[in-house]
Amino acid sequence: MPKLPKLVKRLLLSLPTLLLVSMVVFSLLAVLPGDPVAAILGMEATPEAAAALRLKLGLDDPLLVQYGRWLWAVLHGDLGRSFIDNTPVAEALWQRLPVTIELAIGSFLVAVIIAVPAGILSAARPRGWANAIGTLIALFGMSVPHFWLGMLFIILFAVKLGWLPASGFVPLSVDWHANLIAMTMPMVVAGLRESAILMRMVRSSLLEVLNEDYIRTAFSKGLRDWQVVLGHALRNAMIPVVTASGLMVSGMLGGLVITESIFGIPGMGKMIVDAIFQRDYVTVQAGVLAATVMVVIVNLCVDLLYSVIDPRIAR
Amino acid sequence: MNQRVSRFLLSTMSSAVLAACSLPALAVTLNISLDADPGKLDPTQSSMLNERIVYQSLFDKLLDLDGEGKIVPMLAERWTVSDDQKTYTLYLRKGVKFQDGTPFDAKAVEFNLLRGQEKTSLRRNELKYVSRITVVDDHTIRLELSTPFAPFLSILTDRAGMMSSPAAVKKYGEDYINHPVGTGPFIYEGRLKGATLTLKKNPDYWRAGLPKVDEVVYKIMPDVNVAFNNLRSGQVDISNRFPYKEITNVPANAGYTVLNKPSLGFRGIYLNTTKPPFDKKEVREAVDILIDRNAIAKVVYNNAVAPGHSPFSKAQFANGPSDAPPKVDVARAKALLKAAGKEGGFSFRLPLPTTADELQAGQMIQGMLRPAGITVTLEKTEIASQVEAGKAGTFEALFLGWSGRPDPDQNIFDFVHSGGSMNYSHIAAREVDDLLQQARVEGDQAKRKALYDQAMTILVKEVPYLYLVHDNVLFGIAKSVKGFQYVPDGVIRTATVSK
Repeated sequence: MPKLPKLVKRLLLSLPTLLLVSMVVFSLLAVLPGDPVAAILGMEATPEAAAALRLKLGLDDPLLVQYGRWLWAVLHGDLGRSFIDNTPVAEALWQRLPVTIELAIGSFLVAVIIAVPAGILSAARPRGWANAIGTLIALFGMSVPHFWLGMLFIILFAVKLGWLPASGFVPLSVDWHANLIAMTMPMVVAGLRESAILMRMVRSSLLEVLNEDYIRTAFSKGLRDWQVVLGHALRNAMIPVVTASGLMVSGMLGGLVITESIFGIPGMGKMIVDAIFQRDYVTVQAGVLAATVMVVIVNLCVDLLYSVIDPRIAR
Repeated sequence: MNQRVSRFLLSTMSSAVLAACSLPALAVTLNISLDADPGKLDPTQSSMLNERIVYQSLFDKLLDLDGEGKIVPMLAERWTVSDDQKTYTLYLRKGVKFQDGTPFDAKAVEFNLLRGQEKTSLRRNELKYVSRITVVDDHTIRLELSTPFAPFLSILTDRAGMMSSPAAVKKYGEDYINHPVGTGPFIYEGRLKGATLTLKKNPDYWRAGLPKVDEVVYKIMPDVNVAFNNLRSGQVDISNRFPYKEITNVPANAGYTVLNKPSLGFRGIYLNTTKPPFDKKEVREAVDILIDRNAIAKVVYNNAVAPGHSPFSKAQFANGPSDAPPKVDVARAKALLKAAGKEGGFSFRLPLPTTADELQAGQMIQGMLRPAGITVTLEKTEIASQVEAGKAGTFEALFLGWSGRPDPDQNIFDFVHSGGSMNYSHIAAREVDDLLQQARVEGDQAKRKALYDQAMTILVKEVPYLYLVHDNVLFGIAKSVKGFQYVPDGVIRTATVSK
């Protein structure tokens, strides 16, 4: 394990990243076609209403001033208020972030539960039927459009069988049981897709390790297949898998926009996309910032995990 | 029977009956899917149809529309209009209270109308002719207009006529947008932005026996197929969109029906008359007669729209002969282009909404214009950019429709009058201006229709806007839903609905 100061150093190092991301997002929003005032007020806006809103939101100020104002407020713990309905953006974040984290963790667990056994099985028997089936499923998972799969699940499990609701998200804090029921399908749909990639990762990484000399030694000692694979090979094959998992979770924390849209889940991804369409700059900025923080944290966790898996890394 | 056994049975039965009696009645929830999140919960700030749908449950209006689009009483029991069409006296319903207990009276109406006229209000344009408001007594209010304005009563059936509690507006200030308080059948409970918006029954609602359900939950489902599958699985009772391709596929044993009726809106394309290539009238007319509206209605919208050629759908009294789409005439279009000096054709860019339907319509138009040598480049653009381009006049053509309002004036004046706020085509036809102004101050419906017919006769030749189709109100409704009433403004009224 790295010592605490090292951890703090890592965290501090991520500050410039956050700053850079916020700057890039701010500039991107500024060059985006479509005036926020037109987006917020629509076709019926009178020039007076448009001018008043422009003034209120400070959109007439130079870009640098706008950015400076935003940054200053953020540094003082104020993420601002939504352009659309004047609600504090921090409130929206607190509502959305747990949802996205839950969805990401759930999907990841589904992916791991499917991918790890399937990957091990197909690596252990590279010419067997398990490998063939695993490869086929992985290929399907990677190629099938996410949206289509989600819709298929809804038609099968909600419309035909009636086992699970097609929508009806309830926050975990309100009713955990209803929440889990509503989240099952989205987690499985997102997890299935991710499991395909992860399974290929486990398989190829394990195959590589299985060709190492120490594995041959283990076999020649008379150990059984499963003892060799699980006891000797798997741990060493995990490093690339953990890397891939980190990237995967980071991606999911940015928002599973399509999954969220199909199942009506109020996650971060949907919030950011909606805000972009509505030109709600403040919400976009806060959302992206939060997503970036999450990615930084995940990366840190991945680094820590490396040293747990292979203590030589910590040294 | 053994006494002990019978006593046991009796006690068991009575406790079972007691248990049954003490079981709380299950709350009835009406689930309505909306295709976009209603962002703002304040009628003075509203700019979208979905917001109007939610408001309908929260706020009553001074007047309402019935199933035929006729104006009927709501918070105003009756009204009179002076002979010069400039003074409206509204007699208000007594005994009505806002959801926060504030009494609804003439002072509250005055407060709301003044608020609607404020600089930051989006209702300012609709209420701009109200020059004087007089509170006659607690339940009578007199509104004087600076000029006769025929659409005025219609305007009071929509957001400008929605009444907010003055006490709540003062209490919440800028944050009223998240704390709406009206006199409506349902009270705002809360929302999960982007997912759901929940309303609870108003137990003191002034219409006896209403509302019929305990709770209304609006679920946000941007994708029409997602909404459809939720309707099929029972998670949604009413869907404000229905997939066009499914209209003709409804199985006999389906748990839902499709409501498919004319709406007040239109879809079409603005042509910028101040910029080439559409600065020439002949070019605009050529494009107009190349488009086969019937084909678009059939292929894209599965005939759940009405092919049109005017802003007035069949649900509107101003609907006239000009609404019949022109016959496609490639030879004439070519001749017109030749006269305009564009014999070899030309090309233009057409920004259009990001939905699949509009893209398909755009692709069909692309194909229809090709025989005359016209090349169309389709550009998917979201609404913000469209409105911006429209206001700035930086476009050649713009695929931008209108959800429609009850009075014909609200669907034509601002779009084609030279001083109109949505006249993005920048058409300036003196005669049209005069006719529209006359129609605006004329009180007689038949005479107004004649004026609109005349204006349309000119506009059909001027072609500032390519009217394509009139949308239908297209709702999917679960068979368990009772008491649903269709109103052509496309707004779902929840008070009378039960399930």
